[in-house]
Amino acid sequence: MNRQAFTAVTVLVFVVLPAFGVALSTRAQEDKTPDPSMAPIEQYLMERNAEIALARSAAPEAISRDAEVLVLGRHGYETAIKGKNGFVCVVERSWMAPFDDPEFLNPDQRLPLCLNPPAARSHLLLTLKTTELALAGLSKAQMFDSIKSAFDKKEMPLPEPGAMCYMMSKQQYFGRKYGNADPHLMFWFPKTDDMFWGGGLPGSPVYVHQYSPEPITEFIISVSKWSDGTAAPTD
Amino acid sequence: MGRRTPKRIALGSFVIVVAVTAVVQMRAQSKNPYPNMDALDRYLMPDRNSEIALARTAAPDSISRDAKVLVLGPHGYETAVEGKNGFVCAVERGWMAPFDNPEFWNPKIRGPICYNPPAARSILPMTYKRTEMVLAGQSKAQIEEGIKTFAKKELPALELGAFTYMMSKEAYLTDTGDHNMAHLMFYTPIMDSTVWGAGLDKSPVVLNPQFAREGIDVFMVLTGMWSDGTLAPVNN
Repeated sequence: MNRQAFTAVTVLVFVVLPAFGVALSTRAQEDKTPDPSMAPIEQYLMERNAEIALARSAAPEAISRDAEVLVLGRHGYETAIKGKNGFVCVVERSWMAPFDDPEFLNPDQRLPLCLNPPAARSHLLLTLKTTELALAGLSKAQMFDSIKSAFDKKEMPLPEPGAMCYMMSKQQYFGRKYGNADPHLMFWFPKTDDMFWGGGLPGSPVYVHQYSPEPITEFIISVSKWSDGTAAPTD
Repeated sequence: MGRRTPKRIALGSFVIVVAVTAVVQMRAQSKNPYPNMDALDRYLMPDRNSEIALARTAAPDSISRDAKVLVLGPHGYETAVEGKNGFVCAVERGWMAPFDNPEFWNPKIRGPICYNPPAARSILPMTYKRTEMVLAGQSKAQIEEGIKTFAKKELPALELGAFTYMMSKEAYLTDTGDHNMAHLMFYTPIMDSTVWGAGLDKSPVVLNPQFAREGIDVFMVLTGMWSDGTLAPVNN
């Protein structure tokens, strides 16, 4: 998907819908989404070495070759390779998409990312928790409530200062609508205003995603090259 | 340079990546062409409206049109336009470079920059302070000492999320290379540059030691896009 298209989709999904107060009426969402329930677990799993390679493709090799690599098993993420630089690379699945995203639970989605050390200590726990809930067979509503409760009770950490990740894999797949999207970096903060970084304004390279129910704001910055150094589409 | 620079880079303030080359070149020339401050007039822009327009080019119009705009006068920065969105745009001069940058006194440097609200509160004061000392006629050594004291005693605490846009196509950031590069800058307490993967091969993140004396790291992310939406080179 080209940058403009991704931008438009990103703005629509991450900015416009939340801005209009799209309620997380789970029942309504489940009626509308094309993947209303979890597919068989096998559809979300990958061949181990292929998953390691895909996870590493999220960041330039100079970063990912020394990173810890997680792979998804039937009971959650497992450490496939120990790291040395504090980064953690992982392929997220579609249950990490926003709850109101039509791609939620799409078994084809593959989202490689490499989290820096502050993100590995904080944001990664959200990935692990959400994955645990999905694999336990919870419904979308139950997952939503469980995550909300975990943040309300402060059982889940807010992003540490400087928490960010690389998402520069040419093989990343966001699903039917978004395709491979753009290479980008993501920065996480405790919930803050969209305008904090000028996110989502016309011409800005910064896009914003307000999580829900997590009190987290994600700023997304497109970059011009994939992790292997090749140019990303610019049209 | 930039993405392919393997080590922590001696960048020139907002003066980007190519400063390593500049340092090498300057050493080779054995003489710094900018050893001292030039005549003040050479740092000022004669037309106030031109400086306002240049400052605003740092960020997309959707941000800069409602920003406060500063212009440099003989006695420091002055508010030329009041803002509405908390952003502040200005045109930095060469003295915002690291103190060991050979272009510190380069009068041609024009670095349009727009600060987000946290940066306007916690980073912009450093621009005011350096500029105040420069215009008071202090030497680079005196400014460096003064900045250390300022950072310890007066500088507001760095705010989380402090961030600036430097996406002006019209910037002149260095004598070398293409003179310019579109980027964003993030300000953090001093940390290991590898925490962001900065300076590693093919990483779009570069560490700029602009405010090392002040105890602040500046991470730059190359955007590949100017503020007007046109494509910017990233490999010069």
